[in-house]
Amino acid sequence: MVKTDLYEYPPELREEFEATEAIQFRDGSSATAADVWHFMTEIAPKRYPFAYTQKKYAGVRLSRDIHLPSAIKNHYLLLTMNDRITRSRENGAPVIFVQGGQSVDPYYAAGGIALRPASVGLWARGRHEGLGLNEEVVRQHKQKEKAYHAISFEACQTAGYENIQEGGLPIDMVAPFTCLRCSDISYGVEAHRHGPNKAVKLMNIDYPMRHQADKTWAVEYFAQNLRRLTSEIGKLAGREVTDADLSKEIRLHNEGRRLAIETAELWWSADLPPTNGVDRRSLYQMGGMEVHGDPSASLTVLRESHAYIKERVNKGIKAEGVVDKPIRLFVCGSCVFPNDFRIEEAGAIIVGQDNHWSDISTLVEEDGDPYQNLAHAILSYPYEQSVEVRAAWTIEQLKKSRADGVLFLYQWGCNTQSAIARMLCDTIKRDTGIPTMIIEQHEGGSEQSEQLLNRVNAFIEML
Amino acid sequence: MPIKTLEVIRKRLEERPAELRKLRESGQKVVGWTGYNVPEEIIYALGFIPIRIAIGGDDRLVEVGGRYASSKNCVFIREIVGVFSENEDPYIQQTDILAFDATCLQNFRAAEVIEYYFKKDVIVLGVPRNFYWEEGKEYFGKEADEFARLLEERAGVALDLAKLGESVALYNDIRKTLKSIYTFQAAKDNVISWVEVFDLIQAGDLLDKKEYLSLLHETLAELRALQHNPIIEVDGSEGRIFISGSLIPRGDRKLISIITSVGGRIVGDDIWTGILPHLDLEIKEISPAGVALGYLNRTPHAALPYLDLESDRRLKKLHELLGEFKAQGVIYHTLRYCDPFTFKAKETKDVLAKSDIPVLEIHTEYAGSDYEALRTRLEAFVEMIKIKAESAAEVIV
Ligand code: SF4
Ligand code: SF4
Repeated sequence: MVKTDLYEYPPELREEFEATEAIQFRDGSSATAADVWHFMTEIAPKRYPFAYTQKKYAGVRLSRDIHLPSAIKNHYLLLTMNDRITRSRENGAPVIFVQGGQSVDPYYAAGGIALRPASVGLWARGRHEGLGLNEEVVRQHKQKEKAYHAISFEACQTAGYENIQEGGLPIDMVAPFTCLRCSDISYGVEAHRHGPNKAVKLMNIDYPMRHQADKTWAVEYFAQNLRRLTSEIGKLAGREVTDADLSKEIRLHNEGRRLAIETAELWWSADLPPTNGVDRRSLYQMGGMEVHGDPSASLTVLRESHAYIKERVNKGIKAEGVVDKPIRLFVCGSCVFPNDFRIEEAGAIIVGQDNHWSDISTLVEEDGDPYQNLAHAILSYPYEQSVEVRAAWTIEQLKKSRADGVLFLYQWGCNTQSAIARMLCDTIKRDTGIPTMIIEQHEGGSEQSEQLLNRVNAFIEML
Repeated sequence: MPIKTLEVIRKRLEERPAELRKLRESGQKVVGWTGYNVPEEIIYALGFIPIRIAIGGDDRLVEVGGRYASSKNCVFIREIVGVFSENEDPYIQQTDILAFDATCLQNFRAAEVIEYYFKKDVIVLGVPRNFYWEEGKEYFGKEADEFARLLEERAGVALDLAKLGESVALYNDIRKTLKSIYTFQAAKDNVISWVEVFDLIQAGDLLDKKEYLSLLHETLAELRALQHNPIIEVDGSEGRIFISGSLIPRGDRKLISIITSVGGRIVGDDIWTGILPHLDLEIKEISPAGVALGYLNRTPHAALPYLDLESDRRLKKLHELLGEFKAQGVIYHTLRYCDPFTFKAKETKDVLAKSDIPVLEIHTEYAGSDYEALRTRLEAFVEMIKIKAESAAEVIV
């Protein structure tokens, strides 16, 4: 990529943007909209030029819905990941590797920072400055190769091995939920035991299976796992974790979850899509309050965005670049989604996903024993239930989001999502008649394979 | 000299499906189980006929199973699903109830797929990943109680602890006898081969347990008559091979036949269709939880992650067995998409390299397309360990 050929935010937008709200961080500090603007227009283009690529279909490129302040703020939070996490860690907050699609209340209650694989990747990415898009893609591939070499070429999820063991990323603990969602995560955690970084603590938060939320002993066992988790993080953070800490954190995270549910319902109710697919996904995910490694920051941006979405929906404002009556796609499966830019170009839009939404839309009871309540809520994630229960919940989301079709995607090497794909799709078709398609993604990178996109496009045409 | 009882066992296996059919006609029920921590004694004590569903080696069935599960599941699981889809296996046809466990997530998914598409009555036993925590053991004990309760519902009777005690005694005797027989195959001037013992172990998955025990006793008596004092020692340039890694179920003979055809002598294994599940199983309390904990406390299956390399009991056991059977090289066998073993392949090789034990990793599936390539690699490996053994012997001389 020619580094001078970078996207630039229109300067005339500055005034409007600088009048928007500041981002409040968990440590009490804040970034005003002017700070964000300065970083995004002056600093980040030099440090992270890949994000400013003009390549139309590059997954990392910035959202062009520039009148939606949260879009710019979301990118700001993603591009400042290295600065912020490094600083917080230096100030004593241990950083813990977790899994995607799980809630993070207990990690923060204990004084830690929970980062899922994508966020760990963002942190690692932030340590390499000045890279253009192609250089960044090459760097990522090289890192992944290291993990394949140290673990297995059939691995999909390597629990951050390449960054933590071979990339020098100072993660303090690897402690994800070992839920059925991911076939690889617990083996990825185990693989760290043979890596050179002996300082990293390892723990699997053991997620029981099969009608787990209805079994008192399974809930009790998971609650014990959570207690051990907060105690271990507390030791790293140098503090004792009380039940009150967890209760407080649950209330805070419930606020994010509720706000995400309200935002989603607003978005789905609109005749014209109020945002593009990329921004919709970011908004919903902010309700999980984990993507940026700072729950308060995610929450302030989500709060502000909610008001914007409401206004757009009330006034019938459509997001730029989206057609009037797009085909509405719902995506199921793990860790992969089709390229929104291509989908939208083909006249469709992604209206929702089961991945992440399953945990974000699960509220936690606030009265009573916080460990038991949290354990019960977590074991109730629809994504982790029997196929009939997961399908019933998915169908409810399809109805709410008025989806026209379902795409089930999974990564090559994902054994447990691939195994449920056909059952889930068959149940959805049986009960709703909504067309479904199953696609396997073979490669990552900034752009998806033509083959995958051709299949998605054919599906859109069929719809 | 052939062991006569082995012939009897082969014949009884041929007769067994028809026998099962008759028993079912008379009201008995067959529980087909698969997994790595299913406490079979509970099934038996409730009056069910347990048979293990461990079938492999048929690429066509893998392809059929993949249509219901996915092409990204391990070939073993795909074949199991394929077998249920076709319903032509004489044992599978006789199953009334299925019992799966959640040791391996893929096994769990197979239970769901079979339940969903083939409308089978499936019971699933949860297994803790933090199996070494007290909390994990307690959880597993409760899962075992639930497992027993679900079986009781289907049996229409309550579990009688006296019967469970008898069942445990019977299984303990089977395990003890198998262990004694296993020693003979590794001995100098052996009168029984590892392959024969391997078949013998797998016969126990299908035969009536009491009859099986008496056949084992007869086999052992014959062996003792033929070889008074089996001594395990290295004999010149045999190429003593140990098989580790993913399971090798009935029907899958590709790897074994190549090893023997290139002159390797298999003398031991730690695979989950071999001797390993029968070792170190100590039941301290006669109750569903007590039996289940005996299973969980054995050498852990690779699907249960253990986070400290130094104290890993799986690797310790591997070393112990390598020493006991005087193996000279390890074939680490991983099935396609079997993550529990594939993720640990390199690590296992590194650990064994520190002990100067040669390892060959074989990553394969049930298709025959890699047969020649495997043959070439195995031939070279067997040759290499023979040369290594010979030169070691020369040094001793
Ligand atoms: S795609 Fe599947 S195996 Fe890979 S990280 Fe996601 S859940 Fe895990
Ligand atoms: S351990 Fe391996 S072979 Fe066994 S069910 Fe799991 S993935 Fe398949």
